[in-house]
Amino acid sequence: MTRPTPKEIGAVAAVAGVSVGAEVATRIANSIGPAFEGFAAVAGTLPFDLEPATFVVAQAGKASK
Amino acid sequence: MTTEPALMSLTSIAQVIAQKQLSSREATQSCLDRIAQWQPRLNAFMAIEAEAALAAADAADADLAKGNNRGALHGVPLAHKDMYYEAGKVVTCGSRIRRDFVATTTSTALQRLKDAGTVRLGSLQMSEFAYGPTGHNAHYGPVHNPWGLAHITGGSSSGSGSAVAARLTFAALGSDTGGSIRMPAHFCGVTGLKTTVGRVSRAGAMPLSQSLDTVGPLARSAEDCALLLGLMAGADPDDPTAVAGPVPDYSATTTGSIKGLTIGVPTAFYVDDLDSEVAGILDATMAVLKREGAKVVQVELPDQRQLTAACQLVLAVEAAAFHKRWMIERPQDYGPQVLMRLQNGLAIPGVTYLEAMRWRGPALAAHLAAVAGVDAVIAPVAPVAAPTIAESDVGNSPDAEAVIQRLTRFTRPINYLGLPSLAIPTGFTSSGLPVAMQLIGRSFDEATLLRIGAAFQRATDFHDPVPKFA
Repeated sequence: MTRPTPKEIGAVAAVAGVSVGAEVATRIANSIGPAFEGFAAVAGTLPFDLEPATFVVAQAGKASK
Repeated sequence: MTTEPALMSLTSIAQVIAQKQLSSREATQSCLDRIAQWQPRLNAFMAIEAEAALAAADAADADLAKGNNRGALHGVPLAHKDMYYEAGKVVTCGSRIRRDFVATTTSTALQRLKDAGTVRLGSLQMSEFAYGPTGHNAHYGPVHNPWGLAHITGGSSSGSGSAVAARLTFAALGSDTGGSIRMPAHFCGVTGLKTTVGRVSRAGAMPLSQSLDTVGPLARSAEDCALLLGLMAGADPDDPTAVAGPVPDYSATTTGSIKGLTIGVPTAFYVDDLDSEVAGILDATMAVLKREGAKVVQVELPDQRQLTAACQLVLAVEAAAFHKRWMIERPQDYGPQVLMRLQNGLAIPGVTYLEAMRWRGPALAAHLAAVAGVDAVIAPVAPVAAPTIAESDVGNSPDAEAVIQRLTRFTRPINYLGLPSLAIPTGFTSSGLPVAMQLIGRSFDEATLLRIGAAFQRATDFHDPVPKFA
């Protein structure tokens, strides 16, 4: 997973209903880009049947180690 | 009483009021006197309600005289972060947008403290919409650190940290989504408890991120935090995420020894790139814990940078979703940095957000497996003591997010995992600024953290000094 470009961010923001200019899109790309890079090793690797609710299961100590 | 009442601990003031050795009016007046002295320098309060507080204190005293003790905090004056709704009160959330917002409901956490008999002093400053780790606020000005007025308090519970440190309130509610209780506790030299996700109801607390938000106290000691947590924790029909089941007697746990407990210190990440004084204080803290009977061992944790990144993705999306309407209708009414950070959430695809949420369970399970042999993990709250307000005033500059991420790098992984963490004062730098360490526990095991924190505070006095009004 790579960080989104300012152009992509402009398009995604417009679809979300909050248009941003080119300068703001560039700033967003620089701000959030490291999060995409940090998560890259995980993204696209998760098993098919993994649901967000497994967090609550893990909290209760029932998740497999 | 020869001691200035406001200088007493929450536990002590509650006891002396209940025993009629001191009136609620005397305790409240003592706090108001200190607020009048310090507020012009600290900007810690959003609103001061002196007349109403004294009237409520008189009513509490009258009740007690008739034998009607309302609860464990009867007549104790408190103020809280200005994001806890109280019906009929303005709750600004540190924002211009909600400058005149009057709540129609009362938050569960606040109501439970009111039911225990507390008196309201007013409300405390905070970062705008709880979205900032330094204590700057574009609308109401920065909150100042009583240990050095030119220095930040940390945020977003900036007023809570500053006011508790200066002894303007006996304790205060904060909230912690990415470090917002632990950062002010660290920078201001007070004790702060980030609770497990689900431990305390969030009903009536301003939302920032529904997956990460937690309610918790800042106080002068672990003992005081235990008292507050015991009153607030537990199921709530108004918040289905608040976990049912018995609430432990947290206060009882604070009297226990730590002999036989094992505390892990991470081999990496939390010990990397530390300021030398912070590193020295971490070593000294471990020495105290060993002296008190704990075993300290090294633990190898999973990659914390991935957790930090996942936390950032979740927080950015959820915050943007809460704020979308105002981002469209009133963008000019946000401070520049908050608007910038809210806009970050627009860039994250839904699939990426959900991957970050789906990974949370396995990530927590991996962490719990890594710490299976220890009762708690110890780590710095931040790599440095409080920077100055001027040097951390980065606004919406291109490097602002990087500065924010550096400051919060040791707190965000814990929010992603939803774990409890207790920040305790553990020393001072050579320039007199406080430094705290965080004790990180297993889900819903606040009791062990409070036990360790209280034992440490019985053996040391880093939580006792009061900033001098110069």
